[in-house]
Parts: sequence; C-alpha cells; structure tokens
Amino acid sequence: MFVSWNWISELVDTTGVDPKAFAERFTLSVAEIEEVVEFGAGLSAVVVAEVVKISPHPNADKLRLADCDLGDRQVQVVCGAPDLKVGMRVPFVPPGVTLPSGITVRHGEVRGVPSPGMLASEADLGLSEDHDGLMELDGCDAPTGTPLPTAIALHDVLYEVDNKSITHRPDLWGQVGMAREVAALLNRPLKPLDITGLTFGDTPPLDVAISAHGHCRRYLCTRLDGVTIAPSPVAARLRLRSLGVRPINNIVDATNLAMLETGNPLHAFDASSVRGDQLIIRQAVEGEQLETLDGETRHLAPTDCVITDEQGPVALAGIMGGANSEIVATTTGVVLEAASFDGAAIRKTATRLGMRTDSSARFEKHLDPETARLAALRFCKMVLELCPDAQITASLLDKGAHIDSPPAPVAISTSRSYLRSRLGLNAEQLSDAWMDRAFSALAFELRGEGDELVVTVPSFRAGRDVGIAEDLVEELGRVFGYDHIPSEAPQVAARPPYLPPSKLQERAARQALAQGRGLTEVVLYSFESEPFRKRAGLVELSAAGHAEPRLRLANHLSADQTHLRRLLCNNLLSAMEDNLLQGNRAAEGHKGLTIGLFELSRAFVPLASNESAHPAADPGLPPALTDSTARQGYLDGLSDALREGATAALKSTAPLPWQPRRLAIALGERLGGGQQGLVSAPKAVSVRLFREAVGAVEDLCRQLQRPAPQFKRQPSVGQLPDGLIRHPGQVDLRPAWLHTARHATIAVDGRFIGLVSLIHPEVRSRLGVPAEVALVELDLDALLDVTAVPEQGEAPPKFPPSAFDLTVPCQPSVRADDLRGVLAAAGDGVVDGVSVDVQWVSEYADEGTDAFGRALTFNVTSRNPDGSLTDDNITQIRRALLGSLLDHSQVRDGWAQDMITHHS
Amino acid sequence: MSTETPAWMADIDSAALTALGAIEAAATLATLREAEVGALGRKGNVTALMKRIGKLDKSERKAFGAAAGGLRGKVTRAVSARREAIVQAAIAAELADTTFDETLPGLDGAPGHVHPLSRVQQELEDVFISMGFSVLDYPEVESEFDNFEALNIPGWHPARDMQDTFWLEGGHLLRTHTSAGQVRAMHQFKPPFRAVFPGKVYRYESTDASHDHTFHQLEGLMIGRHVSVGHLLDSMRTLLSAIFKRDVQVRLRPGYFPFVEPGFELDISCQVCDQKGCSVCKQSGWVELLPCGLVHPNVLRAGGLDPDEWQGWAFGLGLSRLVMMRYGVNDIRLLMGGDARFVEGFHPGT
Ligand SMILES: [Zn+2]
Repeated sequence: MFVSWNWISELVDTTGVDPKAFAERFTLSVAEIEEVVEFGAGLSAVVVAEVVKISPHPNADKLRLADCDLGDRQVQVVCGAPDLKVGMRVPFVPPGVTLPSGITVRHGEVRGVPSPGMLASEADLGLSEDHDGLMELDGCDAPTGTPLPTAIALHDVLYEVDNKSITHRPDLWGQVGMAREVAALLNRPLKPLDITGLTFGDTPPLDVAISAHGHCRRYLCTRLDGVTIAPSPVAARLRLRSLGVRPINNIVDATNLAMLETGNPLHAFDASSVRGDQLIIRQAVEGEQLETLDGETRHLAPTDCVITDEQGPVALAGIMGGANSEIVATTTGVVLEAASFDGAAIRKTATRLGMRTDSSARFEKHLDPETARLAALRFCKMVLELCPDAQITASLLDKGAHIDSPPAPVAISTSRSYLRSRLGLNAEQLSDAWMDRAFSALAFELRGEGDELVVTVPSFRAGRDVGIAEDLVEELGRVFGYDHIPSEAPQVAARPPYLPPSKLQERAARQALAQGRGLTEVVLYSFESEPFRKRAGLVELSAAGHAEPRLRLANHLSADQTHLRRLLCNNLLSAMEDNLLQGNRAAEGHKGLTIGLFELSRAFVPLASNESAHPAADPGLPPALTDSTARQGYLDGLSDALREGATAALKSTAPLPWQPRRLAIALGERLGGGQQGLVSAPKAVSVRLFREAVGAVEDLCRQLQRPAPQFKRQPSVGQLPDGLIRHPGQVDLRPAWLHTARHATIAVDGRFIGLVSLIHPEVRSRLGVPAEVALVELDLDALLDVTAVPEQGEAPPKFPPSAFDLTVPCQPSVRADDLRGVLAAAGDGVVDGVSVDVQWVSEYADEGTDAFGRALTFNVTSRNPDGSLTDDNITQIRRALLGSLLDHSQVRDGWAQDMITHHS
Repeated sequence: MSTETPAWMADIDSAALTALGAIEAAATLATLREAEVGALGRKGNVTALMKRIGKLDKSERKAFGAAAGGLRGKVTRAVSARREAIVQAAIAAELADTTFDETLPGLDGAPGHVHPLSRVQQELEDVFISMGFSVLDYPEVESEFDNFEALNIPGWHPARDMQDTFWLEGGHLLRTHTSAGQVRAMHQFKPPFRAVFPGKVYRYESTDASHDHTFHQLEGLMIGRHVSVGHLLDSMRTLLSAIFKRDVQVRLRPGYFPFVEPGFELDISCQVCDQKGCSVCKQSGWVELLPCGLVHPNVLRAGGLDPDEWQGWAFGLGLSRLVMMRYGVNDIRLLMGGDARFVEGFHPGT
C-alpha cells in the first residue's frame, strides 16, 4: 500500500512539513513504512515540447524527424515512436542530461542525421515500466519550454506501507484514511472530499436483487451515459502509476482512483452489454463458469458470489469483472457498481482461485459499508471531470441488509482516568482538552460528564477494529506518541519465582551428557522423515513387529513432515548417519571415530482409545472452561465475532495426545574397510559403544540424584521384565531399531525408564555408511517421578576395607550382573556386621572352543565398620562366595571346589 | 688368646666384597633393591653371616658381633648412598633430556557441546528468574482453542488460514506461537504473577535462510492489578538491557496482534552502530525486535481472570532469531539441521 504525499496534501494542509522527516512520526503512530520512495525525481531538466512538424528520415524507414517547439527555440530530433503526431505535447530531454533510468542523452547523430536531444516515454523518465510510445502530456496547459515538474505535479513522496501493519485497519486502505491520520498528528483539519454538484435521475439504472445476503451487505448502483472512452489526462495517469495501478481508460481509471482515495473498490459495466434489466447478486452454482477480465475462465463454486444479469454471471463479486461486460472503446453508457462484500467470503474465493486483486485485498479487510456510497459519489464526480460530456442518467440505487437494518453505532463507556492510567499518564501530561481534540480528529464523538466518557466510534473504525476501551487507549496513545510516555517500574509482588523440576532436570541432564560424557546436543524437528525410515528399514521392521500409531498431519509441506515422531531416536539415528557420512573426525575429536549426540525434546504419542479420560491426559482446555456455567459466562463476555468460533472450538476440543519429555542418545562409530550393507560390526566395538551408552545413563542418574539404573533384557521382545511399572505414553518396548539380542530395558527404582540398544543389524546394513550405533531413549518425566536419593553427611569409616579378586571361569552366555548378584548375596551376613560389596572388574574371553572359555573377574570388598578384618574373616567370606558357585550350571564344574580345597 | 686373624674374618671380608660390590654395581633402584635384599634380606649373605654368631665360642662372639654389625652398617650406608646417587643421576638425566615433545596433541577430557539454542534459552531464563519470573513449559500439540480463540483470534483472522498452521488429523494443531501458553499460565498461577515460557513453535510455510517451519520463541507474561504502557516500557528496557548485557533503548510502534490491546512492535536501539546509523538498522538507529502489548481482556477472561480486576502485559521473543543475531548465524536451518560440526563450532558448556 502506497501513501501519496501529494494526495494527502490535497486533503490536509501540509505546509512546512517535510514528508521524509514526517515518515518516522507516521511509523511510530500509524503504520510501518517499509520505504520512502521519491517519485519523478531528477527530471527538472526535462521540458514540455510540442511537435510542430514531422518529416521522414532520409536513411531509415522506421525513424522520423520531429521539429519541436521548446518555447524559446525549436529543435529537430530523430524519433522512432510510431505514435508521433503533429500537435502532440511530449517531454523533451536535452542532451547531456542523465535520466533516473540511468540513460544519458547525447548530442549525437542517428543514422546520419543530427539529433540534439530526445522525446521521452514514461519508461525513459522512470515513471512506469511501460515502454509503449511517447508520454503524451495531454491535459497539460503549461507553455512549451516549461520544466516538466512545474508543468505537471510530477514529483511526489510515497510511503510504502507494510500491508501487514494495516490488515486490521480497513479505513487505511484509502488515501483519505491516511490523510485523517496525518491531520490528527499535525493537528490540522481534514478537508472533506468533494462530492458537490452531482445530480442523479429519478429512475433506477436497473433492478437489483440480492439473494446472497451473507456475501453482500450493500449494493449501490447508478448509470452514466454520453461517455467517450479515452485515455485519462497525464496527471491522472501518473497518479495511478505512482500508486502502482496501470492506467486503462478514463472510466476504469476513475473506478481505480475512487478506490485508491476512499478504499472501497468499484466496478464499471458496459451498459449495453448487460443483458436484461436486472442484476442479481447471488451465490454461484456448481459448474458455473465466468471468463474474467484477465481472459481466464474461472470455474465457480457455491461459496463464490457472482453478479449476474438475465443470462448469467457478469462479474466475480469483489474480485474481478467479467469479460462479457468489459468497458471497451465503443462504450458510451456505464453501469457503476459500488458494493460492500463480505471479507471472509471474498478471501475464500480469492484464495481458492488464486486471484489476489487490489479489490479483493481491500474487501478482505472487512470494509465499512458506509464507504461504498462515498466511493460511488467520488466516482461520478471524477467521471464528470475526466469526461465532460458524460451525464448521470439514473438514480443512485442503494440496497442491502445494511440499508434495511442499519447497524447501531458502536459506543464505548469508559472514563478519562482509565484511559490515562492504562497509558501511564496523568491529567497534567494528557489533558482533557488534548484528549477531546485527538478523538475528534480521528472522528470519534465524545459525550459524558466529568470523568465518565461515552465514545462513539466512527463507522469506518467500528467493524472489527475499535470496540472496547482498550482500543481507545491505543488511539490516544499513538496520537500522543508512545515515545513521550514516561517509563515506570511496575509494582510487583516479591515472591520467589517458580522453576519447575523438569527444567532443573533438563539443565542437569545437559550438564551430565555434554560436560560429563563429551556428547554434543542437537535440536531436531518434531516431524519424522518417512524417506529415512523407509531407507533404513525402520518401516519394514516396525511392520513386522508391532507398528505403533503415530500422529498424522492433515497438511504437510514435504514427505519429511507427514507424521509427528513417537520416538526421538529415529531422527537422531538419521542425524547420526549424516554426521558419520561427514567422514573422518579422528583429527578433530578426542573420541577418535566415535560421534556422540543427544537430544532433549518432546515425543508425541496418541492417546489410546481408553486413555482419553486418563487423569494425566491434558484436556486441551483451560480448566475453568470445562465447567458449563463458567463457560457460558466466558462466552457471554465475548463479541459476536469471536463467540461463535469460541463456542465451536470449546465444544470440539478433545484431550491432547501424550507429549512426554524424552532424552535420546546416539553413539556411533564408523567402521573402517567394510562395504555398506555387508559389514558386521566387530563385537568389541559393539560392546564398547553399548557400555558407553550404559555409562552415560548411569552418569545421568547420578547427576540427577536418582538411584543407579538397572539394565535387563526383555524376557521376550515386547515384554516388560518382571516387576517393572510402565505408564501410558512411555517409550515403546519394541521400536523398529531395537536389536532384539543386544538391548536392555532401563529401570530405576522399579520403574521402566527407557531402552538402550544397539541398532538392529538390518538397520545397520542399510545405513549409508558402515557403522555401529548404540541408541538410548528414555522418559525424563518417569525419571523425575523416582524419589531422589537423599544426601546424608556420614562420617567416613575409620577402618580400611579388605579386598580380593575372584576370577570365575564360566560360559559366554552368563550375565556378569547375574553372577555378581549371586556372589553379593552369598557374602551378605557371613560375618556379623561385615558388609561385602562385589563389583565386576574385567573379563577375558577365550575365542577357542572351551564352553567355559570366558573368565569374569570380580573385586570383593569387605568392610567391618567397627574394626579390622581378620584373616579368618576373609577366608570365611571367600569360602562362602565360592560355595555359592559350587552348583552354578554356567560356572566350570569343580572349579569352585578346587579353589576351596587348595587356595583357601 | 691369639692375635692371629680369626677364620671368620675372611668370610666377613668376602661377604663385604660381594655385598658392596653388588651395591656399587647397581645402576637402577630395582637392582639396588636386589643387592640390598641379597645382603640384608632374610636369605641375604650378610644376614646369613650374622646367624653364625650362635655357633661361635663365647670368646669370639663379641669380636664377631662387632665385625658383622659393622659390616651391616656399612652395607646399609652403602645402599643409602647408592640410592641417593641413582636418584640424583636420574633427576639429572631427566633434566638434561631434550627429546620431550611438548607439541603432541592433548589427550581426552574434551567436553561436549550444548546447543546454542539451549544455551541462550537458559541464559534468558536465568535473567528472568533473577527478576522474579517463573519459567514454564507447555505442550507443543495444542487445541485450536488455546492457540486461537482463547487469544482473541477469531476464525476469520488471516492467521487462521490453513497455510499458516500445521493441523493434525482429528483437529489439534502444532502451536503457532508460545502465546498458546498464556491462558494455561493464568490458570496455573494465582495472580499477580510473572512468567516466561520458551519452546518450539511451528508454521506451515516453506523454508529459506531466514524462515524455518519450526523455530523457538520465548513468551513473557506479567499479570497485576495495574499494568500500563509505561510499565511495559520500563520492563522491556530493563529486561532487554539484562539480556544484551548493556544499556538498551526501546521504542514502541503500533502493531496489530489480536491478543494484546494496545499492541506494539518493539524496536531496540541498534546494537551494531549504537544508533549512529548502519546497514543493519537501515540507517534508522532502530531494529525491530519483538511484538508486545497489554493483554486483551478477552484473553484474561479465557484465563479465568476478571479484566476489571486484572491487567497485564505480554511479549513474544524470537529465540532462534536472537541466537542468529548473537552468533552471526546466516541460515536459520543450521539450528535444527542436526550437524554436530555446527554445534561444536560454539564454545562448550552451558
Ligand atoms: Zn545500526
């Protein structure tokens, strides 16, 4: 949207105001100016010339010689324009002048004939993009030789206003609305638009019937005859150009000028093309078609509104006219439409058909139906000026719901003290008189006694713009200037802020993983990439197992956005692959080829059908509004415009899906040498990555002051190990990437917290890089629910412990922690008051064929808090531990007995 | 009494020769220890000699004892002297060594990296906490009501169009702004209160270097008995000065956001040129930073608060944009691209 300073200056006295300096005030009080543009600058050397004689060019058929009168002299120049004719007045550019377009006119020869200067087109002068023909200065009475900027009001300063900043202000889509703002800011009067001297006939131009009342609130119509279609005078053409509208002919230009001025779009039909004597404004019928002015055939839908004559549509209401009733060169009679169409309906049709026009853009803003009449009158006035032979030959027909039952004016009850207090001003800073003046400059009417005020809102602000006292606060504030409001520290209650435990937990988790484990945090999208899932085999694996439901989007931009992720690890694995593909990081990182990533984010798990009443499920509604009385009270307080939607939205709201806070870790290592798809990971690498992942989880629990996690395989995949509790929305037991033979559930204090797993070999074989990856996915909320380990200041033991190692030959399938558990249980209570702690230290695996080729070494630490341990105590404990392994099926036969006999 | 040399004297001399010879020959502490054990250990030759005293005549015992004891003392002193010599020689040798390469790369212990979004978010949270603001966290999948109607955004508002919002099958949506948490906060706290709630927001729009369909915001909300534009001005200047760690000027321009009235675009003094004029601020000295305003009464109503009793201000800060401004990130898509090298380009730590 452009604001023309020249146009504003016709409506407000702007004497002494520098438009460029004023732009800042405008931005601070009205709307954001994207750019201040100078139109028609740099043309002071260009003068008005009149072509007095035309002769052929001796050496070129397409060129001619034009003798031009420049007032004080005549020149002959070479001209290639086909529309050159004797008597025409055109801009002449003397040699040596550089035009805004960058062209420098030379004193040269054209095909052997001297040409000291040039006759210019609008494009040459930088006034339009239109290169067709010379710029005709018709309607310009200035004597030849007059500098162009003096001859026509060429120079203008334009504000290019950010359209987004005026979407809520329908009144600002016309120059007069902008002028009202300028007048208020300058404290100078706004001149009324000239609608004097119009005489309408007695008979209506046509019969008008409105059946689409929802689409059309007001329809004004009249007729003008005796029209001669011609180009508009140069001043009108330039004005249109400067505001970004292409001049067409005097009638169409008048509709556009009246629209630019008032903000209300208009449409002119060729009277002779309208079939029959009735216009019907109705909804389109399915299958109906209309060829619009741009030559496109539009397929209409019942949500569209059309203007029809006896035989069918002649215009797409509020968007574009039909080709069948276009103003043409032979038009002599014009039927004018000045209507007010519903913004939402126009927006819907314009969006559906991809037709954003100057007209639809304005109607979408919900224009004031009052403005339609003003626009009609201004159109008539302009036509009579542009086309002196024209006559208004009909009455001004005015129909619609807006006329039948005019809306009551909007009046707001408030007080002067309230308006001041919301701005933070007192009566000294913002006086009653100042307030009165500001409101009246903006066309608000004030009544009221003392402090009380009743403010009547002008119709052009009353639609969806100003309706409550807070809106009046804004009106006053912006005219007053927000930069003049003193800032003041608010009085606030001194209360400690609340920081949810989840926040502290996330901070500690980041600390543990980044600082403690050297991992790198990534922040990934909430959408799951289907292409990656397919390529990595995750789709197949989950289909073969149990595909868990995910939330699907109703609209998406790409195949990467069709679903919300139910697990973080899928995206994290994809990111891991990308990072591994980036190649050798050995030189950069301390961990050699290992890359460690983690992410803290929400996952999205649909509620199961029986979970919608789950006490932990979020209802998606403010709690107070779930009660029907409170809800009605709330709805009653809303404006009509909002109430309908709010009622529907409240009614249809279903509980929200689970959105658990998750932590995911991925540790990946690129495997050298192997080929993609054929590689199997060396077991040592797998074990190391898995143990690093386990260590990260252990560190995490320590950092979060939670009990040490327990790692156990699922008894069968999808089955929770005995005794664990798992809540709805928690990590799935069998994600597609789960390695069914190399994984563990993570449990803390008897609760299921998540999973740690190497990636499924099928997934590993499909990655774009030979690599082994360990993944962790765990529920932060579940971990938060576990009681923290209390801290206690205990005195350190006075006596040193006694320790020995035990190396047990066993089968490879034995679980170190099971064996450790057996030993620890056996040591317990052997000697009164002596605690026995057993820790796994190391393992040695013989790759040979011995069924007991694995050796696990445990460190046994015994401690007597009240004294030293005797050699006998140690021997007793050692025997008890060995005794517990005597009949262990996975320990080498006879080994324990042998140890007891010979080494104790 | 005889003055001739006793027979055992030769044995003592021989033992001394062996022991002291081994000690003198020891070049390392380990061989010295061997020599020491070989002389004075349980099976050492000096120890063995000492044991012979019981088999001697009483008359000889004293002389033998003195000689053997002397030998043991001599050996002990020799060991000490030798140990000291070895240690000194080793120290001298180490100090004289010129082969130590101090240019080899460091080992291990390098910390990982926290994402810049997390760092900036936490830093801002701490600023707000220090000024008494609570920090909250609300769902990303929201109801249409919380995201729109509760915020006074009716169905006809352009922001409601399909092209701006990711909708889920079944009617929920991905919140388009952290403002969706405003009514939640009003119900969670007893007024007066002040709170911020950061998080991910989503827009159904195509992406380029300065637009992503997912980005991060931080919402601020203050509810009190009396909240004015003057209060908003003061709060924003104070908060932003704390965030930018320097004195910041702010100014308000009219801006239209349905959930605030009056609504503003807030500009801050250009941090690049200190308002002298530069390309970042297009010579104006001001840079548009965030939308804010006084909470609309309809929003207070949805939050269960009586607008005649309670007032408030709110703002929405673009966290992603702040990260980009602070670190000169020229493509927003880098933030959520998952490339560890991008994150590792920042200082480690939180
Ligand atoms: Zn600057």
